[in-house]
Amino acid sequence: MIRIEDLCKSVDTSEGLLTILKSISLNIDAGEAVAIVGASGSGKSTLLGLMAGLDTATSGDVVLDGQSLNAMDEEQRAILRGKLVGFVFQSFQLLPSLTALENVMLPIELKGDAQAKEKAKRLLLRVGLEERGHHYPNQLSGGEQQRVAIARAFATEARILFADEPTGNLDTATGAKIVELLFDLNREFSTTLVLVTHDELLAQKCDRIVRLVAGEAVSDEKTSARDEEVASV
Amino acid sequence: MSDAVTARSGGNKTFSTLFGLALRLLWRDWRGGEIRLLFIALVMAVTSVTGIALFTDRLEKALLLESANMLAADRVLGSSRQPPEEILAEAESLGLRTARTLSFTSMAFSETGNMLVSAKAVSDTYPLRGEVIIADQPFIRGYPIRSGPPAGEVWLESRALPALGIDVGDSVFVGEAELTVSRIIIAEPDRQGGMMDSAGPRLMLSMNDVVQTNVVQLGSRVSYRYLFAGEELETLDSFSEWIGEEYDGEYRIRDVRDESEEISEALNRAESFLLLGSLFAVLLAGVAIALTAKRYSERHYDYVAILKTFGCTSNEIGVIYLAIQLVLVFISIVVGCILGWLVHHVILRLLQAVITVELPPAGFEPFVIGSLTAVICLLSFALPPLLALRATPPLRVLRKDLDQQKLGANVPYVFGILGTVFLVYWYSQNLVLTTVLVTAVAAIALFLSAVSYLLLRSSGSVGMKAGSAWKLAMTAARRRRKQNVLQVMVFSVTIMSLLILTLLRTDLIDDWQGQLPENTPNHFMMNITESQIDGIESFFAENGVDSNAFYPLISARVISVNGEIPEPEEELDADEERSSITEGAQSAEEDSLYDRARSELDAATENNEEAGAEAEEQEEGQVRGRLGRRQVTWADDLPPDNLITDGAWWGEVIDAGYVSIEDEYAGWLDIEIGDRVEFEINQQTIFAEVSSFRSVRWDNMQPNFFIIFSPGTINHLGATFLSTALMERDQKILLNDLVRLFPTMVVIEIDALIEQVQNIIAQVTSAIELISVLVLVCGALVLLACVNATLDERFHENAILRTLGAGKRLILSSLLIEFASIGALAGIIATVGAEASLYYLQEEVFEQEFNMHYWVWIAGPLIGTVLIAGLGMNSTREVVSTSPLNVLRRVV
Repeated sequence: MIRIEDLCKSVDTSEGLLTILKSISLNIDAGEAVAIVGASGSGKSTLLGLMAGLDTATSGDVVLDGQSLNAMDEEQRAILRGKLVGFVFQSFQLLPSLTALENVMLPIELKGDAQAKEKAKRLLLRVGLEERGHHYPNQLSGGEQQRVAIARAFATEARILFADEPTGNLDTATGAKIVELLFDLNREFSTTLVLVTHDELLAQKCDRIVRLVAGEAVSDEKTSARDEEVASV
Repeated sequence: MSDAVTARSGGNKTFSTLFGLALRLLWRDWRGGEIRLLFIALVMAVTSVTGIALFTDRLEKALLLESANMLAADRVLGSSRQPPEEILAEAESLGLRTARTLSFTSMAFSETGNMLVSAKAVSDTYPLRGEVIIADQPFIRGYPIRSGPPAGEVWLESRALPALGIDVGDSVFVGEAELTVSRIIIAEPDRQGGMMDSAGPRLMLSMNDVVQTNVVQLGSRVSYRYLFAGEELETLDSFSEWIGEEYDGEYRIRDVRDESEEISEALNRAESFLLLGSLFAVLLAGVAIALTAKRYSERHYDYVAILKTFGCTSNEIGVIYLAIQLVLVFISIVVGCILGWLVHHVILRLLQAVITVELPPAGFEPFVIGSLTAVICLLSFALPPLLALRATPPLRVLRKDLDQQKLGANVPYVFGILGTVFLVYWYSQNLVLTTVLVTAVAAIALFLSAVSYLLLRSSGSVGMKAGSAWKLAMTAARRRRKQNVLQVMVFSVTIMSLLILTLLRTDLIDDWQGQLPENTPNHFMMNITESQIDGIESFFAENGVDSNAFYPLISARVISVNGEIPEPEEELDADEERSSITEGAQSAEEDSLYDRARSELDAATENNEEAGAEAEEQEEGQVRGRLGRRQVTWADDLPPDNLITDGAWWGEVIDAGYVSIEDEYAGWLDIEIGDRVEFEINQQTIFAEVSSFRSVRWDNMQPNFFIIFSPGTINHLGATFLSTALMERDQKILLNDLVRLFPTMVVIEIDALIEQVQNIIAQVTSAIELISVLVLVCGALVLLACVNATLDERFHENAILRTLGAGKRLILSSLLIEFASIGALAGIIATVGAEASLYYLQEEVFEQEFNMHYWVWIAGPLIGTVLIAGLGMNSTREVVSTSPLNVLRRVV
């Protein structure tokens, strides 16, 4: 589903060229859940941005569902994102002037779907916020905001979900609930999940863990979760 | 592969999807309050421009109508010789209506008496505009009629009947013609006060009877007028051009502006003010739009980033935001046009008392102007920052620190400046005014930014210095230096615009009120001998009329200054500007109101000497001739509206042999204080030493003089006297007795003219007041928009300070100090800018004398401080009344 080939990213700074990612290659299969872990500044969010086509690599390529991002301009990448990709962010990224329901409706509306409202309502019901649809983001708790964000991420039935520190802004108990919801929906929609986190427990829930240290992928290992899942199958 | 092909073909959403989304976003933004200020700014731009344009359009049409009534036509051609008949034929071939009048002074005789009358013969089509008011009996209220008397009849002014001892229906002789007095004439549209109209009561007759009277002979002093009226302004203009070309300037078509300098000046000043007012209104509305659009677009960076992660392409973002703006501008235009229409109605309602004519309906043009303003404002001020949103990097969803800096932060300003220049030019249609205004604003902006930058420059302090409110405020001001410089600039320009308009308005209105105070004398009496003065004074005393000073009047010419003949190279500017009854150009062709009065006056006071003197001047060469003859006087006291600009007026003990000269005239002749000037008066030579220069207010419609001698210098040379009197309408019958008692005296009636000028001044004064209010509202909007522009950051910062334990008092005091300092600085800069701009505007555009407004130097900074501190505190006080968490959440 996702193939990363020799991906490098460096930026110009006042102190010279700074290399953020060094020659990363990776394959992620459809339906797989992969955690990218690493310390702060290890380049994991940069890698996520490149994989999702939000940024361009200095060299190397990302191939999403058979399509090379390198060969596309921003417009074409945007269209591809619209077709394939959903996001969950650490800071939720809900639009403050839209209600919870409207936030979920937005990506469905963008597809020109006349059933946007009904679909969004169903998703809010699924994340347990059917009563809070008319509330604005600043009237919701952090956990509630993230649940809206998850509902929005699944609204377009994206085949790949990128999650950037989804529990980073939440307390442990709320974080645990959110993680549960995220993985439930992931299974329900058979989505490929790429999750950036520094939380080992959260990472362990994925099928694979890719560890980044100073921009380099130092390990890529299967987790017990994968084994359990395989066993249960 | 098929996906790749789709991806390469550009956006995959239909226009209706995007448009529908744009509408929903617009509605949600409106509901959330995001777009309200931008909408209000757009509506204000449309409202003020449409309102002002509608009002000026209709007022202009009304004034044109009124002025047409004043002339009894749209255009007039006047001459002391009969103009060729083919002019009338040409006008008629162009579809213009024409009429002819012929004015002359003549004696009217009855069986029991005789009197000098101002006769006016009119053709059958007279008047082309306005109405003649007639009555069936003298001294009663009249009724309007759109014609002159038929052949064989005359209409006489009421006061002529008792003087001639006749009644309506009796006969009078005018020259050799016996005519029947059939009606009383109360008023006529084009009687304005020239000598031909003022030598005696009016006698109106038919043009067909003129030959029979046999009074108009070769060489008679008569005034011919051809009147023209047409529905199309273009036809009138092209006809005027045709006359100019065909007769090489020998005949000139005039409209009301040529007829009266006072009215023309009042109208020109009012138009300049309205223009300036609407320019400021547009400019301020534009700034408000730019500020609100910038803030709107800043708040939408995240929005766009999210939309991009959902698969929106840059082009689709562009379409969405363009659609939002188009819908917004469409609604703004509709609302603004309706409000503009209401505003102009309110203006008209307020002016009901002074606008005497029925206003023609407004054209469609003002709405087009208002709508185009909104579109241009949007294109130049709002669209660039909004379209820059297209380039928002989608990565912003992960990295907040990515902003729009790379996208050419100055692009919006470039568009804004271009848009402003275009708008200013479009409104003024005047390249000079555009250049001057744009250069002035640009210079002020540059100066302001330099000064503000220097004043707010950091002295290397680090951190927030949150210990004291004062330090906290100062470091906050420095940290937001860039924004603050912009804010100070915007505040300064706004306060400056408001100061300029307020001061200009006050000065203009004061000037007008000073020009024609309520009890301005409206009758001039001339050719009075010294022995008649006591008699005239007692006549007025008996009849309850206040008499005024008697000025001796004598014709004089400068021969030499310190023994040398002056050789001024150019014509005297003041000759074109001043309009005093007692002074005037010597042209025989002139036909304007005052020119007529002046030349008649010259004829009355100088008789044949003038002709002799003119011939002599021609022999002496052109420069000498240009020195011309002036009506001079002597006086104990400095006349009202005169100010000594150099030297000193004579003291209590007055010596003969001194002269005081009008300052521009002195400059023109290169005269200095202490110079010895030689004059020729009544063929005698007089020497006098220049003891003072004076400035003279030429437009006060009172006796004014270039040259005033100290008493005793020229008293022996045989002067006649001039005086003025204020006579109300019901006192005018006294004129009969007055001219009967003092038959050599000439009375010039300017009451109708003064009334007209006062009426027009009252109209434009009210208009100016209202425009000022409109601009004030625009200004307030800009101030609000500007305070709001940096609100988010202030909110955020202060919320953090509060979470860190800063007390309410510390934060409020720090905010107060920060806003007050910005306001004070803006106030100071605005005051300097306003005084500098006013200097130029008053001297060059409004032709007023510039005086420093000292109180503004205190009021300006004070207004800035109070206004900005008040607005700022009002907008940010929420920061201490809401929980910091809410603030932080809201401002993310």
